[in-house]
Amino acid sequence: MIDNLTSDNLFITLVGPPNSGKTTLFNYFSGKNYKTVNYPGATVDSAVANLQKKFNINASLMDSPGIISLNPETDDEKIAVNYLYKHPKLGKPDLVIVTVDSSQLSRHLYLAKQIINSKFNVIIALTMVDILEQKGFEINEDKLSEIIGCKTFKVDGRSGRGIDNLLSYINDNKISFKEETILNNHSANNNTDDVLLLYKEIEKIEDECLVEIEDKKNINLKRANKQLNLVTNKFEKKKCNQIDARTVKIDKVLLHNTWGLVFFFLIMSFTFTSIFWFAQPIMNFVSYIFQNLADEALNLAGNNWFGMLLSNGIINGVGSVVVFVPQIMILFLILGILEDSGYLARGAMLIDKPLSKIGLNGKSFVPMLSGFACAIPAMMAARTIPNRRERLLTIFILPLLSCSARLPVYTLLLAFLFPGNKAWIAGIVLAAIYLFSILSSILAAAIINKLNNKVIKAQDNSSFILELPAYRRPEVKVVAINMWHSGKLYLQKAGPIILVLSICIWFFTSFPNIDPKVNTDNISQEQVNELKDSERLATSYAADFGKIIQPVMTPLGLDWRVGVALISAFTAREVFVSSMALIFKVTDSRGSLMESMLDAMKNSKIGNTEKKLFTPSSIIGIIIFFMFALQCLSTIAISRKETGSWRIPILQLIIFSGLAYFLSFVAVNGLRILGLS
Amino acid sequence: MKTAADLKHGEKVIINCVNSKHPSAKRLLEVGFTPGQEIELVNRSTFNDPIAISIRGTVIALRRSDADCIIIA
Repeated sequence: MIDNLTSDNLFITLVGPPNSGKTTLFNYFSGKNYKTVNYPGATVDSAVANLQKKFNINASLMDSPGIISLNPETDDEKIAVNYLYKHPKLGKPDLVIVTVDSSQLSRHLYLAKQIINSKFNVIIALTMVDILEQKGFEINEDKLSEIIGCKTFKVDGRSGRGIDNLLSYINDNKISFKEETILNNHSANNNTDDVLLLYKEIEKIEDECLVEIEDKKNINLKRANKQLNLVTNKFEKKKCNQIDARTVKIDKVLLHNTWGLVFFFLIMSFTFTSIFWFAQPIMNFVSYIFQNLADEALNLAGNNWFGMLLSNGIINGVGSVVVFVPQIMILFLILGILEDSGYLARGAMLIDKPLSKIGLNGKSFVPMLSGFACAIPAMMAARTIPNRRERLLTIFILPLLSCSARLPVYTLLLAFLFPGNKAWIAGIVLAAIYLFSILSSILAAAIINKLNNKVIKAQDNSSFILELPAYRRPEVKVVAINMWHSGKLYLQKAGPIILVLSICIWFFTSFPNIDPKVNTDNISQEQVNELKDSERLATSYAADFGKIIQPVMTPLGLDWRVGVALISAFTAREVFVSSMALIFKVTDSRGSLMESMLDAMKNSKIGNTEKKLFTPSSIIGIIIFFMFALQCLSTIAISRKETGSWRIPILQLIIFSGLAYFLSFVAVNGLRILGLS
Repeated sequence: MKTAADLKHGEKVIINCVNSKHPSAKRLLEVGFTPGQEIELVNRSTFNDPIAISIRGTVIALRRSDADCIIIA
């Protein structure tokens, strides 16, 4: 994707405080559509892209997490500062574009000035000029350029206004940017006195460059006032530091002293229930298409091994996972809207006090929320938590939150428990499962917090300092594209694994006895097929392996077939569904893929007995197993990477998977004692 | 000694100084809480902690324990 660095290829780094319009600008330059999130650390990793061809400049562009200053306090800031000085692949930037929110000039110039003082080649991009104008002020950019010591441009990353000027300046000065410069290491001097001195300098700059827009009506009045000495300097300053009026109004409700937390829980509940209800009709449709495809394939290829591979192995295996794409996309749509609106920081603030009681931080909220999508980005998002202990504790509990890969599993199992006209209950139970995953993660955090130093070392100075950005209307295009991407990513991540595993599982459940001899006297063709299917499976390689794991599965009221599905789920949880579809041979029934899967599950018996394999209690057992078990290799790998050792991932694997087995055992046998089969 | 943690809802004051010994002092200075700036308590969370304070045209949420190092009188 990135061209090799040639001598005329510029390496430009984008730097800016959180909420300064950095990612919007990056998207405009690169033509990509990264999500801009009103939350620090939203760009947790750096992204590199080429400048779009239409701009006619050969350049690589890097976007990195927002930073407040060059003195990092959190890991995401550390990465951003390190990457600014030296990108691992691209090295030192030829040019740094610092985004500065014009309506918060002094706060954002602070970082810009630090970077200029570090002797980078700097251009300042002044964003949100319109918001400053609404407040009645504008920036004299020539004067600002002159005083601060670098070129400044007013730009708008959404419309592209002003960016031409910036680019033509870059183009004209390409050669001078390439000249070797020696950087000052900023971290050498960073005590509080330095901060104060720098702010004094910036306030002076602000005073000189910020000019009030004089509309004609006011000019005369102002002259008169000046003569009477009514307009004081203090008054002007106050006006440009007013906070967004609409935000103040919304926060009166959403950050209300008593109702704020109630609204918070309402918003969260709506998010989780809607995943189920909104997606249901679309899922039924996709499911129906795949079932027809599988039937067609079997008809066309004939009832031989190739036909079975095509319809059972490939179409049903892949289809059973594709069915859940709508749900995943709706989950990401709602998360995207929440993120883009600016509510996340408020959520973090509202939940800080309760979370601090159990050793977490308000800043754990965003990682936990993304944990409902996937634990991997969630663990990376935990980098925004400054206190190491709180950060490790957050990472520790993240696998308990119900990630989107578990959604297909729950949906299938709940559809079994609540068939037909009881389906609405499934939505409520799913919301309850989500709620329970929050509770269990909180409980886990509280317990580990009590165990104190034994698991995660204590560390002092826990703090919570977070900007509450102005609310804004979520950009439909960005949210929609992000939703589309997450669906695509889900398929890309799970797709190949599922395809390969589907074929493997099909092979191991069909061979060596692909065409078993059965007694065909006095029975219909349908019965012959059924008999052949079960005979083929019973003499397959998977069955041989199954005998080894059977003792582990029996206490849970299950047999080896579910065991094989559970083990295959370790590559990715959603594989469980496709494995089930394969093992329980979902074909030749009318209706949708989901329906025939449920039919097959209803009719399956344990071994040669007449006892049903899937009963309410055994299904509840599987659900409980999935709620706790850490069955995701990628999560284990990222946990190792983010915590810096194997200690935490191994503890997570043993504790959560052990707990899953134990609780599932207790639930199944408890329910059976109570009389629920 | 009155600090920003003692502010009432809607109360506007000028920062006098920041206790540089407090572990959060540097970060608070960096986000803009410097002496001479006007601040206002604009929102409180349900448990009265954290609080939201307006500064230099934006709003910062912070715990009372962090606000304690911003001295206002």
